[in-house]
Amino acid sequence: MTGPRGLSRIELLQGTLDLIVLQTLRWGPSHGYGIAQAIRASSEDVLQVDTGSLYPALHRLERKGWIAAEWSTSENKQRVRVYRLTVEGRKQLARERSQWEQLSRAIGAVLAPPAPRGNEP
Amino acid sequence: MSRRDEELQEEIAAHLRMAIADRMARGASREEAERAARREFGNVTHVAEVTREAQRGPALWLERLAQDLRYGWRALRRTPAFTAVAVATLALAIGANSAVFTVVNSVLLAPLPFRDPGRLYAASYLPADLPFELPPGLDDRLYLEYRGHVSRFEQVAGYQRQALTLSGAGDATRLAGARASANFFEVLGVQPALGRAFTPQEDQAGTDQVVILSDRLWRTRFNGDRSVLGATITLDGIPRTVIGVMPRGFTFPAASELWTPLALRLDAGNSFIFPVVGRLRAGATPDQAKSELEAIAGAMPQDPRTAGSHPAAAIIPLKQTLTSHVRTSLLVLAGAVLFVLLIACANVANLLLIRAATRRHEMAVRVALGASRGRIARQLLTESVLIGLIGGAFGILVAFAGVRGLLAMAPAGRIPRVDEVQVNGWVLLFTLAVSLITGILFGLVPAKSGARREPQEALGQGMRLMGGPHYRLRSVFVTGEIALALILLTGAGLMIKSFLIMRSLDTGYDASRVVTMAVDLPPIAFPDAARMQAFHTALLERLARIPGARAVGAVSFRPMSDMGIMGDFQAESPTPLPHGYTVDKTTVSPGYFGALGIRMLAGRDFTAADRAGAPGVVVVSEAVARRIWPNQSAVGKRISMQDHPGPNDWLSVIGVVNDVVQDEHLSRHSTIYLPYLQTTLPFFISHMTFVVRPAPQAGNLAPEMRAALRDVDPAVPAQALQTMDESMLDTIAEPVFQMRLLTAFAILALLLAALGTYGVLAYDVTERTREIGLRIALGATPGNVLRMVLRRTAALALVGAALGILGSLALTSVLSKSLFEVKPTDPATLAAVTAVLVLAALLAGYLPAQRATRIRALTALLQD
Repeated sequence: MTGPRGLSRIELLQGTLDLIVLQTLRWGPSHGYGIAQAIRASSEDVLQVDTGSLYPALHRLERKGWIAAEWSTSENKQRVRVYRLTVEGRKQLARERSQWEQLSRAIGAVLAPPAPRGNEP
Repeated sequence: MSRRDEELQEEIAAHLRMAIADRMARGASREEAERAARREFGNVTHVAEVTREAQRGPALWLERLAQDLRYGWRALRRTPAFTAVAVATLALAIGANSAVFTVVNSVLLAPLPFRDPGRLYAASYLPADLPFELPPGLDDRLYLEYRGHVSRFEQVAGYQRQALTLSGAGDATRLAGARASANFFEVLGVQPALGRAFTPQEDQAGTDQVVILSDRLWRTRFNGDRSVLGATITLDGIPRTVIGVMPRGFTFPAASELWTPLALRLDAGNSFIFPVVGRLRAGATPDQAKSELEAIAGAMPQDPRTAGSHPAAAIIPLKQTLTSHVRTSLLVLAGAVLFVLLIACANVANLLLIRAATRRHEMAVRVALGASRGRIARQLLTESVLIGLIGGAFGILVAFAGVRGLLAMAPAGRIPRVDEVQVNGWVLLFTLAVSLITGILFGLVPAKSGARREPQEALGQGMRLMGGPHYRLRSVFVTGEIALALILLTGAGLMIKSFLIMRSLDTGYDASRVVTMAVDLPPIAFPDAARMQAFHTALLERLARIPGARAVGAVSFRPMSDMGIMGDFQAESPTPLPHGYTVDKTTVSPGYFGALGIRMLAGRDFTAADRAGAPGVVVVSEAVARRIWPNQSAVGKRISMQDHPGPNDWLSVIGVVNDVVQDEHLSRHSTIYLPYLQTTLPFFISHMTFVVRPAPQAGNLAPEMRAALRDVDPAVPAQALQTMDESMLDTIAEPVFQMRLLTAFAILALLLAALGTYGVLAYDVTERTREIGLRIALGATPGNVLRMVLRRTAALALVGAALGILGSLALTSVLSKSLFEVKPTDPATLAAVTAVLVLAALLAGYLPAQRATRIRALTALLQD
């Protein structure tokens, strides 16, 4: 995933991309192209998913059993591979979400301006 | 393509179709939409590859390894010349290492072939300041005391090597054997394969006429006949009953063919020192055993004759006592052969770097197609490991031949456990490990730098002025090779110089063609000195009648023998003799000095008149005369061999001869010579070496001498029938062996280093063709070009040589024990080998330099 330039691809790959993919599939099954478009749209064009990261992530999540895939026919009668969230995947999403929230709270606390010391009891 | 791959392709195709359709729906033309979708998607092959990796998970490496191996194998087959040179270099180097490891493993590392050998220790309690070296051991009285009181050892056994004459069954022969206490075999944990071991009763003097045979002696001499048990054979004239045959391969100590009981007989006037081996009790430590030995020895009444000496107790692992004398030289060889391997690695690494440079296009194409750098590095490493493994496989063949060669070259009887040496599973494992490690070692740097290559740089390579890629890396490898080769050459050079000094050594005698023949007279057949003297006289007369014999003589212990009798004496001199001054006491016949070319410096030789009943006489060597009677004539002075001489115990000095080199350290000994006809102690003349100086045109006298001995007494076998020159070579066999191997390794190293230098410079010249062409176009003469290439060669060689000299100064001291009158830092040797190495490097650089001068300016500039 290439977002704002300068972010390491590996960091996003290991944790965040999985989380984003799982989150995207919460709204219903989708194919790879659809997932990429959805991420792009919901991030207001900030996050552009690199296919070289997206497809390995999809197949890795599938191997781990968090998502399942099947071939179906698209609106314009073409065979596409559609991914959906499994029960395990839902649990995993909950876990990753809470971890992410903890992390972003922690980082937010670090980055927030410190309270003035004089007011402490 | 598997179904999974097809599905993946289809999934990607669908993605692209949808992306294109979306863009067209937003109003783009089909062409624009396709281009934009493809650009956004990125590299299809790469996406497919990383997705497949994600599909397979961790198990993928195996498949990829197989793929890398297939690819590597194809790549190696595409460059057969490179592959052949690399594999041959490694096969030689790895094979040499495996061969040396085979010997090191069997001799130094492998456990002794006894039951639970780690608990076997030698016990020793010897004065630390003896004038000669003794193997670890106990004296007979201490052994008896120790055996009765020791608790840290389960039990202790005594043994002593001996040589015995077997007569009766076929020709009389001299056999190596041992005397061993009754529990000797039990302590080692090896029982006879046939029959039984000694009983304690048989270990008593007087009831000890039994013998146990080795498997080999039983098979060769007694046809493997079981009825030999209970049969009687004659050893040193004594009939003994065969009670057992040891299992195949048991020859302890030192290639023994038969064992008789130790059967100690205490002698009031002498003590007898022999090795003692014990099996440590479970839970006991060697330190505890040492304290116990000290306590037991300390509680014994002090022997007045050894008062003032300071014995040291030691408990030494049995294996160490057997192998300590070869340990250093074997480890030196292992180190030397490791250097050869490192040089080979540097060579192959350089070849790989050169090859990598010629494969820049191939790698660039693979990178452009989406192969990751890690993948390419892994691929290159797989190739080098493959080369290493193929080299190792051929190396095993080299090792088999090498071990055979090593054993053939090794001096007979000097390397312990030599019959256990074999290429076994450990050696194969070692070879596999070395092959893998070398494959990684020489492949790592080329693989890392090969993968770093930027595709643009390689695909559109411009004009290059400075020596091409890896210029510095290649120089480092060549310099390292030269440095290592120089260290090996220095080692070999030192050994050769030492050898030349030994060979041109003034031994004090002049006898290279003189033939020697040793005899041992067994006490049963020759119970007193008179009978021995009669035998010697008869044999001397018979030998003198051999046609072609110019002079004959006899000596108890010839120069260069590993035995001798040393002791102190009394002398009539103004000052008392220094305490602890000992001399060799050697018995000779009249004519011995002349036959061996030892010069009479003063006085006269012994004659037949110097016999029992005549006044006692001695001849002393120069060092004795100078020490006792400095600035005076020794002739006419008197000495005595008795501690408290009576009036009749004095012997007159009738002559002075020069000192001779006596022992294996090639040192000159101070010697007092006694006439054999006046010797009354049997052990002074029971072992005698007869020497015959041939006339200038005489052929080989050895058969005649053997015949003469048979005429005099057919039951006495001839031993050590050889020329004095052969004895000399025997004496220095160990350093010569080491010299040969070191020289062989050094020459191999020199050739590899020269080959490496040549390869790198040849490649340099090819890489710099355009530059050189440009220089020629600008007016450089062939001489300029030649000098330019040779300057680079000389720079590499000199830096390498400087490093090598430093390395030599640091390392060659490991040879100091093997060197004779040469310092490990001998400047002349260092200078000589440096010259040889730099010359070889310049020669290796000359061929590419020559080629550089023939570059035509126009052709070079129009190239590409």
